[in-house]
Amino acid sequence: MRRRHLLALSAGALAAPALITRPARAAVETRELNGYRIRTFNVRAGSGSRDVACNADGTVWFCGQRDGTLNLLDPRDGGLKVVPLGQGAAPHGVIVGPDGAAWVTEGGQNSIARVDAKDHRVQLWKLNGGPSNANLNTLVFDKQGTLWFTGQGGVIGRFEPKTEKMQVWDAPKGYGPYGIALTPQGTIWYVSLAGNYLAQIDTATGKPRIVEPPTPQQGARRVWSDSQGRLWISEWNSGQVSMHDPKDASWKQWKLPGERPRCYSVYVDDRDAVWLTDFSANAIVRFDPRTETFVSFPSDKSGANVRQMAGRPGEAWGGESGTNRIVAIDKLQA
Amino acid sequence: MPVLRSTAGLVAVFLVAPLAQAQDCNRQVFEPCQACHALAPGGPQKPGPHLAGLIGRKVAGDQAFDYSPALRAARDKGDVWTKERLDAFLSDTEAMYPGGWMGSPPIRDAKQRADLLCVLGTP
Repeated sequence: MRRRHLLALSAGALAAPALITRPARAAVETRELNGYRIRTFNVRAGSGSRDVACNADGTVWFCGQRDGTLNLLDPRDGGLKVVPLGQGAAPHGVIVGPDGAAWVTEGGQNSIARVDAKDHRVQLWKLNGGPSNANLNTLVFDKQGTLWFTGQGGVIGRFEPKTEKMQVWDAPKGYGPYGIALTPQGTIWYVSLAGNYLAQIDTATGKPRIVEPPTPQQGARRVWSDSQGRLWISEWNSGQVSMHDPKDASWKQWKLPGERPRCYSVYVDDRDAVWLTDFSANAIVRFDPRTETFVSFPSDKSGANVRQMAGRPGEAWGGESGTNRIVAIDKLQA
Repeated sequence: MPVLRSTAGLVAVFLVAPLAQAQDCNRQVFEPCQACHALAPGGPQKPGPHLAGLIGRKVAGDQAFDYSPALRAARDKGDVWTKERLDAFLSDTEAMYPGGWMGSPPIRDAKQRADLLCVLGTP
């Protein structure tokens, strides 16, 4: 059954009380591996540093899911600004919106959150449909400025920042909507971890069109587009990275190295290199689609658990949720 | 195992209360968990282990699931899911077993954890 909810929220929605930022500084350690520089920033114990988003000015947002904060790291000096998101907050995903603000799937309050880039004021918009705990996951803006999001509780939705109108729909097959991505062609795709599928959302109607991956029960967790609009998918159950090309409906897949890989996240960089994380190997793994080869970057600490990656030209970034560190990898200069 | 703090009274209730009946539990609290976990073995593969018979089961006890090194180490040293241990785990999974794969945030509400334990402890 398909449920549709529509509500125009009043201006301002739920504004969090006062902005509190606590100045802090993250120590950085640098090492080299496979011709790359790896920097790790010890951000804040207990934060559960996970999803990241890179600003154009070089700073990096990351979610403190464990302590209900959004954090801004300045890699140049380790500077940290901490923005509490409210009582019960547990942010999962963060992106930088077209307005320059940080937009967050704030699962703890079942809300979409916006943190202003300048004054860090927090605004919250509660979901107006679906389960009381949609288990909000990931979000992306389309080219018209509409925010699309997923909830593992079995929902997809959209939010119009200009009108503050939110719509929430039941997802096909129930539980599972996880990663979501925008292609250069302007199409929006998401994957369902529990539902084991890829789907394209009709941005006019919100209706998903399921595209079944060839590997049954693969556990499609995250998705990212390359420069051609091909969808790269991290498969948790199968331990594969797969690629779907909507132009010819083709699929390819590659098993990550190791005994029993657990491919958690995927990010495609500006050169179309595919960055993956493998929980079994406790590693970030770079896949080159041209040579079809993997290069592994194991963490220097156990249980790193990088759950998402993002980046800027020449740099791949992730949050080590198990060590409370943010990691950046870039090519060593000759 | 971390020491229980504000949940001491809750634990006392668990120790003396008989097993709850399924209909007594607030099953709605388990809904977010169902994206990754089943309450019964078998069925389609889920992203996480099944939770059938969890109370009294060894930590990392679903033989069909490959667990994180953190959970496997706990199993190897003989940890068992008692209600007390599970309550502490749910209150902050990362504090009890750092480096575990489950990405759930801490459940700070003792009532919510009690409801979950009711569901997980019901045959």
